[in-house]
Amino acid sequence: MQKAFLVDGSICLGCNTCAMACKNQYHQDKGILWRKVREIGAEEYHIDNNNILPTLVSYQKAPKAEMPMERFYFSLACNHCENPACVAICPVGAHTKDPETGICKHDQTICIGCGGCVKACPFGASKFNEKMGQAEKCSMCWERQADGKTTACVQSCPVGAIAIIDLHDPKYKEYANASPIGIDYAINAETKPTTRFIHPSMPKEVYRLPKG
Amino acid sequence: MSYSKENVESIVNNGISRRSFLKGLAASGVLSSFPGGILQANEDLNTKIPYLGEKSYQTFRNACPRNCYDTCSIKTYVKDGVMQFIEGATESTYTRGGCCVKGNSYVKRVYSARRLKYPMMQVGGKGSGNWKRISWDTAMDIIAKKLLEIKKEDGTLLGAALTKYSGNFGITHYGIEGMFNSIGYTTRLAGTPCWPAGIDAQNLDMGDMWCNDPEEMKDSKFIILWGVNPASNSIHSMKYIYEAKKKGAKVVVIDPVFTEAASKASQYIQIKTGTDGLLALGMAKIIIDAGLHDQKWLDANSKGYKEYKAYLDKEIKLDNVSKITGIPLAMIKELALSFAKAKPATIWMGYGMQRHTNGGSMIRAIDAFVAVSGNIGKYAGGARYGHLNTWGFNYAALSQPKPEGSVGYTGPEGAKGEFAQVGGEKAAYTDRFLNINKTARELINAKEPKVRLLWVACKNPFAQDFDRNQLIRAFQQLDLVVVADQFFNETAKWADIVLPVTTQFEEYDVNVSYWHYWLTLNEQAIKPLFEVKSDLEIAAMLSKRMNQLQAGSCTFPQSVDTKAMMVKEFNPGIYEQFGIKSWEELKHGPVKAKAVIPFADGKFKTPSGKFEFYSDKALELFGSALPTYLEVRKPYDKFRMTSPHTRWSLHSQFQNLEWMEDVHPEPYVYINPEDAEAKMVKEGDTVAVFNKQGLLRLKAKLTDNVQSGTVLMYEQWYNNNIYNVNELVDDTSSDMGAFKTGAPGVALHDTFVNFRKL
Repeated sequence: MQKAFLVDGSICLGCNTCAMACKNQYHQDKGILWRKVREIGAEEYHIDNNNILPTLVSYQKAPKAEMPMERFYFSLACNHCENPACVAICPVGAHTKDPETGICKHDQTICIGCGGCVKACPFGASKFNEKMGQAEKCSMCWERQADGKTTACVQSCPVGAIAIIDLHDPKYKEYANASPIGIDYAINAETKPTTRFIHPSMPKEVYRLPKG
Repeated sequence: MSYSKENVESIVNNGISRRSFLKGLAASGVLSSFPGGILQANEDLNTKIPYLGEKSYQTFRNACPRNCYDTCSIKTYVKDGVMQFIEGATESTYTRGGCCVKGNSYVKRVYSARRLKYPMMQVGGKGSGNWKRISWDTAMDIIAKKLLEIKKEDGTLLGAALTKYSGNFGITHYGIEGMFNSIGYTTRLAGTPCWPAGIDAQNLDMGDMWCNDPEEMKDSKFIILWGVNPASNSIHSMKYIYEAKKKGAKVVVIDPVFTEAASKASQYIQIKTGTDGLLALGMAKIIIDAGLHDQKWLDANSKGYKEYKAYLDKEIKLDNVSKITGIPLAMIKELALSFAKAKPATIWMGYGMQRHTNGGSMIRAIDAFVAVSGNIGKYAGGARYGHLNTWGFNYAALSQPKPEGSVGYTGPEGAKGEFAQVGGEKAAYTDRFLNINKTARELINAKEPKVRLLWVACKNPFAQDFDRNQLIRAFQQLDLVVVADQFFNETAKWADIVLPVTTQFEEYDVNVSYWHYWLTLNEQAIKPLFEVKSDLEIAAMLSKRMNQLQAGSCTFPQSVDTKAMMVKEFNPGIYEQFGIKSWEELKHGPVKAKAVIPFADGKFKTPSGKFEFYSDKALELFGSALPTYLEVRKPYDKFRMTSPHTRWSLHSQFQNLEWMEDVHPEPYVYINPEDAEAKMVKEGDTVAVFNKQGLLRLKAKLTDNVQSGTVLMYEQWYNNNIYNVNELVDDTSSDMGAFKTGAPGVALHDTFVNFRKL
């Protein structure tokens, strides 16, 4: 089993409810977002100031997709990689990969704040909290899931644009190779990220007033 | 791993020993509010509050009381007296377990270090920034003495004015008006800046503003989102629109802006701003000419169809419609005919469209088109705008008697606002009503007596009102300005006294929506922080002090309990409508009103009892009996400026919160690339946007989401940015609003500006 986020960009409103629901649940400090809603086709993504090194997501050249400004989005938190760099690099075992669910968990009570995971994660999922001197990241609300609830982001999405799937379940095979639109490299990263995407498209008929 | 209470606290306090933490609190004077002070006292050190399991929390029912379609039902999780997190109530099929980006920031709002904590007095004068903390007793003493002084000198209390609007739409918050009722006849800023022209239009046509349940839209076969952007401003409605679309319905967005909703529709049609009414008239003509109108329904249920048709035949030329709206005729025909053929079909009209000098006439024209197509009074149909159908509470907090011998104004009586129109017994005197949409000039011009005291509650006039330069003058000439708020906003800066008020989590209330049909209890989930008081408690304290100074001068109860007041708002009608026996049932979750299809019985509350294409009232008040084409305001500067609502704030609320700054840090002006090129403005350049009213400096974003000739800026109040779009808006009225809300609306999308690169 490998739990994974399936993000449906075709219905995502870009409303950031998911990102804020995550803050509502865990109270991330100002400047830190475990889940971030990114605009497709933007010239550049907002830089994650708290990352020690630039990451793939924030440092790659502009995505190739041509979409109207501020209309199409994808929501991204930890990718809960199949081969997670954070788990490999963590010297104290604060990062673990749950053998049953495949969730990449971070335990702040063990974390020594070395920042290795923040450097290692190609997606900027691990954030460094300078005030606490520790790392932090999305652990797919494993406590909520263990309690019979779904994640804060999934529960709060007003249109059901985020779902949790089992990537190893054959019925989700069609999503196996879907990177976010315009960012073709993401899915091929060595860490084997598990987040999958349904691509958005423009409305079939769009009429704009003639120029002039 | 298990989390003990100590664990949580050590995480929360991160290394600060509990003892020194408590000592620190005692020194800073917040110990009295402990443990609610934990989060605010260490606002940067609360990362990773672990989820401890449903059973570890106390839960409370709350409602989001903001001026929003969605009015979410909330479940609040509290531990050791501290709000931990919220969720949308799962019992409401509308809220469906989730709030929006704003609602999810509530914990930060409650525990924000920026909250107003104590009564404060600006001892250096308004705008000086020289503040001093005062006690509640002192605050009440100053205000009570000023009120009694005004009464003594003027012989009336008309020199005391109240401006209150949509900061909190909870029913007991009408107790603020109740407070002013209880001191005598006073001056009120009446009307609404929000939706009045459309309210009048719907009342003229149908005798009521009454929309179908939004949840029915899932079964609509054709949906036009006309000048409305639910993908930003009513996100919980989108799931029904998506469901309809999935089942094969066509979803068309007609809007001058390629909105977030447009990007998710089947079809987007850009229209020249302010010509929507003409498009609707043209569409009606097309379906009548094609014989697709519902003659049977029109015969049985309408008045003046013949005159309306004659007007269309004579005055509406389709070529002209195409030319003026900017939309190809073939596209208009296809749109009108496919709408008429799909049953049920529905149109949702936004509030932006009626914020034009011809706004009411546009809503009337669209109402008429829906009526002609036979979709009024039908399940999943309707001309949707809003409703007040579930607002039949007692308004007990509002209804306070005048003190004996009160003297007031002898002007004409009329509507004072759209919500609580409770008349009371007919008296020789009335309050004096000033137009809320011209607050600045009305305060300055009010004579005999002039306004000397202004109380501001549930409102941020400096962010939301117009003609701001005048507004500063207006505030400066007042003897005493009292602002009750949660934050030190721009209005507070021009106050003499600010009073800290509770959030909805610190008081009881009850909430309904003007869009969906759910009823939600709002419980007190935590004790009020610091020295904050509810608006009702403030009224009671004022009453106590006034009566000490002059017995009988104020009739408001001298002590109130927000829960008891909330209970008093319920009546058998509400219980019947929502199918409950007692308000206590709401502790188990929100409930929905029994389903009714508006106007399905063909009974309209118009004078004729029918849908009125021809309205005598409209003729009398607005000079045109029929929905006709009115030209929009003529430009007075180079570019039209439109200032719609954004998802990041609800008017002036939420954008100021630290968490919101993380997802949306700064404002932009959105400019069409064509216009930008002509002005040599590039993406990210700082530009000055200016007109006869004022000037703003902000960064530009270039996008053809806005049409050439128009610039777009969102209305918001930032904590750390002087940006305020209403700097540029004058107070020109829209055509309608005076009929049902007491004053015409504001044509704020008929603002014109110029810009240049800085």
